[in-house]
Amino acid sequence: MSGVTPADLAGHAFLRGMADGDLAVLSRLCWVAPVRRGHLFFTEGDAAHRFWLICSGHVALDLTAPGGRELIVETLGQGDLLGLSWFVPPYQWQFSATAVHDTTTFEFNADAVRAACESEAGLGYELLQRVMAAALSRLQATRVRMLDLYGASGAVRGGP
Amino acid sequence: MDNAIEPGSVRLMEASALEALFTSLDGAGYRVIGPTVRDGAIVLAELTAVGDLPFGWGVQLEPGGYRLRRRDDTAAFGHSAGPGSWKQFLHPPREKLWSARLAEGGFEIEQAGSDSGPDPEPRLAFFGVRPCDLRAIQIQDQVLGSGSGNSRYAARRAAVLIVAVNCTEPGETCFCASMGTGPEAGPGYDLALTELVSGERHGFLVDVGTEAGASVLAGVPLTRADAAVTDRARSAVADASQQMGRTMPAAGLHELMAESTDAARWDDVASRCLTCGNCTLACPTCFCTTVEDLTDLTGDHAERWQHWASCFDLDFSYLHGGPVRASASSRYRQWLTHKLGTWHDQFGSSGCVGCGRCIVWCPVGIDITEEVAALEAEAQGRKAQDAETQGDA
Amino acid sequence: MSQATAPALPARYQVVERQEETHDTVTLCLRPVDQPIPEYRPGQFTMLYAPGIGEVPISISGTGPDLGLVQTIRAVGAVTRALCACTPGRMIGVRGPYGTDWNVASAAGDDLLIVAGGIGLAPLRGALLAALGHRELYRRVVVLAGARSPEELVFARELDRWHRDGAEVAVTVDQAAAGWTGHVGVVTQLIGRADVDSARTTALICGPEVMMRLTARELRALGVPAARIRVSVERNMRCGVAECGHCQLGPLLLCRDGPVIGYEVAMPLLAIREL
Repeated sequence: MSGVTPADLAGHAFLRGMADGDLAVLSRLCWVAPVRRGHLFFTEGDAAHRFWLICSGHVALDLTAPGGRELIVETLGQGDLLGLSWFVPPYQWQFSATAVHDTTTFEFNADAVRAACESEAGLGYELLQRVMAAALSRLQATRVRMLDLYGASGAVRGGP
Repeated sequence: MDNAIEPGSVRLMEASALEALFTSLDGAGYRVIGPTVRDGAIVLAELTAVGDLPFGWGVQLEPGGYRLRRRDDTAAFGHSAGPGSWKQFLHPPREKLWSARLAEGGFEIEQAGSDSGPDPEPRLAFFGVRPCDLRAIQIQDQVLGSGSGNSRYAARRAAVLIVAVNCTEPGETCFCASMGTGPEAGPGYDLALTELVSGERHGFLVDVGTEAGASVLAGVPLTRADAAVTDRARSAVADASQQMGRTMPAAGLHELMAESTDAARWDDVASRCLTCGNCTLACPTCFCTTVEDLTDLTGDHAERWQHWASCFDLDFSYLHGGPVRASASSRYRQWLTHKLGTWHDQFGSSGCVGCGRCIVWCPVGIDITEEVAALEAEAQGRKAQDAETQGDA
Repeated sequence: MSQATAPALPARYQVVERQEETHDTVTLCLRPVDQPIPEYRPGQFTMLYAPGIGEVPISISGTGPDLGLVQTIRAVGAVTRALCACTPGRMIGVRGPYGTDWNVASAAGDDLLIVAGGIGLAPLRGALLAALGHRELYRRVVVLAGARSPEELVFARELDRWHRDGAEVAVTVDQAAAGWTGHVGVVTQLIGRADVDSARTTALICGPEVMMRLTARELRALGVPAARIRVSVERNMRCGVAECGHCQLGPLLLCRDGPVIGYEVAMPLLAIREL
């Protein structure tokens, strides 16, 4: 009904190695969603009812600062999970997400996926591992960015 | 007196003939540098007369301690581990590399080298080079004399005549035997003397090393050395190797240093070490330098000077806003592991010759033979523990 | 004076062009006034002399016209500030070239992966240009560059030309304002995306030590052979000719055994605290 088959999902890096049964459940809860450059996926503060797996394109997570300036927090692309806040309470977006280029994704009904995880523990654990891996990778990268290795000042210079 | 002295010959020279030897050296254009008593120590300085030699003076050595003492004989070379070494003459503490004129358009090098300009390097006769110090000179030859940059060192070195002195009485802090550098001088000397003092008799067995050495013996009263005297001299030197004040492990220092990177001992020695760098000043092989660019007040004239530096200085390893080696522990580790370990990787030999100066001249008496023994024990302990753990697993 | 006693003297070079890369980084194009220094290989460095002030080791970023040199300097101290302030016509001193090179030619037949962090792109630029000059020898030529922000990206104006000459170029920054259409994140995050053929990749890495360690680790995890990864390591340098002892990193004298070192030799040494 959604037009997405388990085989389609199996090819996505985020779901690599997932069992067919779990893929089947997920495939019924998502649809293909191409968007144009500039498309706003979600806005900071909104309730998180959806998440996306990016198939191609380039998405920026950003934050609006005083004066209307938008600061890009991170960019994501092919193979990445877009959206983490749908997975844990209070299910509310912390950042906004904008397509920097034309982008295609699998868009998921986050509420339905969470419900499926409740009823099928196997699926829940599989998703948990993958979401955790994505979050960990981004956390580690963010910590390194905070070291400001390319900055000129003394103490944390990134030198020996 | 005979004329046919060749490299490899052995002769006997009375102490009274030293006068003639000095005259010969002077006549050949050499300035004689050798040991002399000054300011409570036996230092190396220019000798203008045979009487400048420290006849009858000895030393009492211990970690962090050096005292002159009167000997009960008139030996001139009955001492060791003076505060200076021959490196101050071959690798000067301060040296101008070049000067330049600065102008709006840029700069122009006026003069490369020292102010002595086009004159050749002065001919120096190093009189009284101990076997450990001879090895040290050869080690510095490898570090400084072989590369493309320092032809100044090579020029100075080529103008030096070496009169070595074999050791018959090692100091309390000496360990040349275990470093394989003494007490007998290895090849590389022009002449080697072995002092023989007994009652009224005072003479030197003279081993001729090179043509240059042979030629300065011209005019010096010598006799052929008979077997008895030669044996006495050789035995005295051989016996000295059994009387060393200290020892180092014969082999495996390179590996020991490499596996001791995380040893607890470094923190232990660091709690005592003042990072004053005395050891690097006294050590005959330490060679590190730094350069300083200076201008005069008008800004028209610039000079680049090179001077001795020590890895114990905090700014030695300065990079991007701070030193790489900030802790005393890391700096002591750097010095010792370089001297005994990575020197092999960089220059093909050990950097230590067992002269013991670092032990004597350390104000808190740190003894590297003791530190190495402790590192060795710690390494053994680690290996035993690893074996045990593996056995359990 | 006797040639035999002359120490290594700075050769006179004139600044012919000055390009401001970022607020604190400048690229100087230099031309020899007298005899040029010997030909350089990418990865090597020179000791640059700011007359009357002092000398610093600076990687060579490339060659300029008339046997000239291109060198990129970041102003972090008295000497580098003086060099960065040099305008065309000013004369500075150059000694070198010193050190080991990237050995780009050894990557022939491979995917050549160049990973740069901050001003680390400067020592790598020469390697990249050498590869692009013989583009047919390599399979893919991929450049991944990380910078603090878009304004602090060096050689930004050259990226398009590199792309035209056959390199795939991806840039990421630590922070950016909207309007930036590139990546925001750390340079290691670009590696997986580059999707190189790990078993047949030669990787050249240069940047802050932490960045090089993390990048090398990521490459090893993907299966790039240890023998095909090279890094460029810095230490305090004074003489450039292995006689002053300053640039030691364990058994290595970096002015002679580096600055480019193979992964297998470098990583154990970089892992030792305060070495």
